[in-house]
Amino acid sequence: MEILQGFMEAVQGILESSGILTLNWQNYVMIGVSIVLLYLAIKKQYEPLLLLPIAFGMLLVNLYPAIMAPPTTELLTAEQCAQQSIATSGHATTVINGVTYYENPTYGGLLYYLYQGVKLGIYPPLIFLGIGCMTDFGPLISNPKSLILGAAAQIGIFITFTGAIFLGFTEAEAGAIGIIGGADGPTAIYVTTKLAPHLLGSIAIAAYSYMALVPIIQPPIMKALTTKKERSVVMEQLRPVSKLEKIMFPVIVVILIAIFLPDAAPLVGMLMLGNLFKESGVVDRIAKAAQNELMNIITIFLGTTVGATASGQKFLTLDTLKIIALGLIAFCMGTAFGVLFGKIMYKATGGKVNPLIGSAGVSAVPMAARVSQRVGQQENPGNFLLMHAMGPNVAGVIGSAVAAGVLLNVVG
Amino acid sequence: MSFSNLSPLLHMAELSLAEKGISSAKVILTGFVVVFAVLILLILIINLYSFIVSKALNNDKKKKKEKIVETKNTSPIPKPVTAKISAQEVENAVSEEVVAVISAAVASMYGSSEKVKIKSIKKSNSGRSAWANAGVLENTRPF
Repeated sequence: MEILQGFMEAVQGILESSGILTLNWQNYVMIGVSIVLLYLAIKKQYEPLLLLPIAFGMLLVNLYPAIMAPPTTELLTAEQCAQQSIATSGHATTVINGVTYYENPTYGGLLYYLYQGVKLGIYPPLIFLGIGCMTDFGPLISNPKSLILGAAAQIGIFITFTGAIFLGFTEAEAGAIGIIGGADGPTAIYVTTKLAPHLLGSIAIAAYSYMALVPIIQPPIMKALTTKKERSVVMEQLRPVSKLEKIMFPVIVVILIAIFLPDAAPLVGMLMLGNLFKESGVVDRIAKAAQNELMNIITIFLGTTVGATASGQKFLTLDTLKIIALGLIAFCMGTAFGVLFGKIMYKATGGKVNPLIGSAGVSAVPMAARVSQRVGQQENPGNFLLMHAMGPNVAGVIGSAVAAGVLLNVVG
Repeated sequence: MSFSNLSPLLHMAELSLAEKGISSAKVILTGFVVVFAVLILLILIINLYSFIVSKALNNDKKKKKEKIVETKNTSPIPKPVTAKISAQEVENAVSEEVVAVISAAVASMYGSSEKVKIKSIKKSNSGRSAWANAGVLENTRPF
């Protein structure tokens, strides 16, 4: 009889602590959303390297919210401590109503600790380090004018800021939402953790979804804004860039940007450090570690914990819908302004620049450049815009980091 | 006191709308100007230093070129030789595509900054007949 009662109590205890009773409807909705995202990542292969960990983090946190719980202190009386065999020596005490409580620390969830790298702005610059190792700034150095396109595509960020302000977000929140238009995941996360950490889940998911959707979102805008003649422009071959120039580039950029815009220094600094690893050619091993092992590890941590910020109660709000809509506007604006400035350059150079490369000014490396290439080839199959589009594309990375610096400085 | 108590909502709405306008105008203007200023400055600097670098490299190249010119001067018949070779090429039937591939390979080995001239592409005779080649292949093929 005692055994049976013990069994019933144990089952009851397990039931009480299980998700069935503690989870609410938002959690179940988010579990559904995360399964859809997992499907998109695995079956459709939409940015699977990021979407898969994000979706799984989302799944985990909605099944077991304590996995993101911060460490706390619980107040226990001496009796309770003795019951749970907790050593009370060294614990601080609080006296409430004449009873002495010991402040017993409890530990946070697994993802809470991994999340600190996101929260403290550590992971995004490290991702940038890896991106720097993989980026060839050659096309940009041989055609520096493409930096204009990289700047133009950032205008969307600031216009979306206005939209967000008028939709009732605070300045800091609006800044974080606008940065989605930079189409740069690490930058968006970095800015959001500094300006509006409570929106991180929505903003990161919006940013990465739109980056995955670049090939669907951009072409209609590009085609609507250009004529057939402009799209079929064949550009001159880029001049070869010497090794010395490639080595000097990261050093010069980091000096310039860190002096004028210190807020952008962590992102741009790491990007350029990675690039110097690559171009210097003397630290091959470090360059490989940064772009492979380090970057992969950080991607796992970043993806999972960013997904884990999207717990049902925080994510399923009207604000999230607004953010997703504003993000789309930011993205389209960035593309449109890039193409429009491409048209200006087309006019200014007497038809030597194909305006399609302008859309690559939103960062999303190298997807946006590939889109320029593909749309260009639809008009003229013998036209290879890829290298020309890589110029604005990597300029966009620098541009969005600069824009991030501006936002951090002005509204931070 | 009473004024601010009576119409805090109205007051805030009015002010915040104006504030919203001001703050967004401020951000758009600053963002636009700073982003373009920094990147245009970067353009100028890149142009400047690539000009300097290319000048420095050209000086090096000039020295090399002078050497090449000297050697050219010592060899008296450069033009007829190339003509002969091109005739040979046609005889050996090396297609243009193969020439392009080989020149690309040479260019990638020497680096694009080096000036390289390919004077001839010949099919080498391995010294074995086709039958002998087939025999060697047959005997050396791993399993």
